[in-house]
Amino acid sequence: MTAARGELIAIEGVTKRYLTSSGPVEALHDVSLSVGEGDFCTLIGPSGCGKSTLLGMLGGLVAPDEGRLLVDGQPVTTPDPRRVATVFQDAGLFPWRTALQNVEFGLELQGVPAARRRRTASELLGPLGLSGFAEKYPRELSGGMKQRVAIGRALAIDAKILLMDEPFGALDEQTRVLMGEWLLDIWRRTLKTVIFVTHSLHEALFLSTRVAVMTARPGRIKSMLELSMEYPRSMESPEMAALRAKLWSEIREESLRAMR
Amino acid sequence: MRVLWLRLGLLAALLAVWEVAGRAANPLLAVPPSAVLPALRDLLLLRSYPELPASLWLTLREIGAAYMLAVAAGLGCGFMLGMHRLVGRVWGPMLAALYAVPAVVWYPSLMLFFGLEAASKIAFGFLLGFFPITLAVLAGVRQVNPQLVTVAHAYGAGAVTVFRRVMLPSMLFTLVGGLRTGLALCVIGVIVGEILGSKAGIGTLINHAYGLLRTADYVALVLVTLVLVVGSDVLASLLERRAQRWTE
Repeated sequence: MTAARGELIAIEGVTKRYLTSSGPVEALHDVSLSVGEGDFCTLIGPSGCGKSTLLGMLGGLVAPDEGRLLVDGQPVTTPDPRRVATVFQDAGLFPWRTALQNVEFGLELQGVPAARRRRTASELLGPLGLSGFAEKYPRELSGGMKQRVAIGRALAIDAKILLMDEPFGALDEQTRVLMGEWLLDIWRRTLKTVIFVTHSLHEALFLSTRVAVMTARPGRIKSMLELSMEYPRSMESPEMAALRAKLWSEIREESLRAMR
Repeated sequence: MRVLWLRLGLLAALLAVWEVAGRAANPLLAVPPSAVLPALRDLLLLRSYPELPASLWLTLREIGAAYMLAVAAGLGCGFMLGMHRLVGRVWGPMLAALYAVPAVVWYPSLMLFFGLEAASKIAFGFLLGFFPITLAVLAGVRQVNPQLVTVAHAYGAGAVTVFRRVMLPSMLFTLVGGLRTGLALCVIGVIVGEILGSKAGIGTLINHAYGLLRTADYVALVLVTLVLVVGSDVLASLLERRAQRWTE
């Protein structure tokens, strides 16, 4: 597997086992993956195939049992918010903080002075489409807005890598499509390297430069799809339809195995 | 405003009923408000019980000591039980069972251990205040959303930062509620302790007046105690509201 640009993330032979009440379960088996700088790499696969575990390892929140993960050539051992920012599945906003204060959170932890982090966070709210919502609390925001605040919190610390664990999974279909368009815009402007976990074929094909299809448990990389079409992509083109059919047949096979 | 008037009206009605009923009953057992007022005046002018200020001061110090001990031990035990799952699972149910025992059954042994002076009152107030604080901390720790802890870790938070930025704000409400209940129970514990057996303090005066059938003085002392208790609760509720504003 070759990366288009310089390699930024290297996952080398990673295996992870969990101890459950019914014995050890292998979540990931010998996974290797290389992601280049500026890539939008999507992990797609059946439920329980270890996608989130892989993301947790890249974020330094989960330690692998075997193998290693490198970011910028350095092994990942603990969370390093200067290099990696994570967006979690259900936003994970602090309910006692306003939207603005939530966006500021990472900067606050890094000891950025109050005035400066306030400025950085305020400037982010515009492109997030949250200009009038700085002083709102999470409970006053819609699902899509909450997720944008969470993405703002990740963008604020200006790490090179953005890990996104099904960020739009809990949203309705329409909001989801719009959020995808919005994220694409953000990604192209900020030149982040994104690792994106999803169940949605549409999201994978619409957003990614590369798609990694994972197998049912224990998770492995089944195949790698390189997408070179220009953005914004037309989802109705014959080329896209063919890609969609190909991707679906691979995922279908694994999902069926996972159901058994 | 309307509520206030209704409340005053109700109070006046109650006083009127009390007056009528008090006059009809044996004056040794029941006293009407008209008899309490002079007793209250004598009490406040230090004619009937010149040791009132010293007694109040002693009781307040006992409450203060009991409460400080209860807060320190309650927070300590609560967090220890809440953070270590095994310890919590072993001790949690025992604590809840102990809390269910009417605490007053321990008082005789506390008097044996700590004597008739302030120490046994402090111990009893502590015993009453300790449980609600500990249990509130335990409940609060369980309220913390583990995902928020993960988020904080991902953004580089260590244990201290997680405690300060995630755990404390998550549990603040429950915690402050427990601290408030704890204070109320400390006050009760100290005063009950004094009434049950002591040499000084407001409870001793109450006991004295009641024992000598000086019913009017007794009621006046109870009114003073009431002011003390209500005052401490108002103070606590102000703190609670402040914490509430801070969380939101």
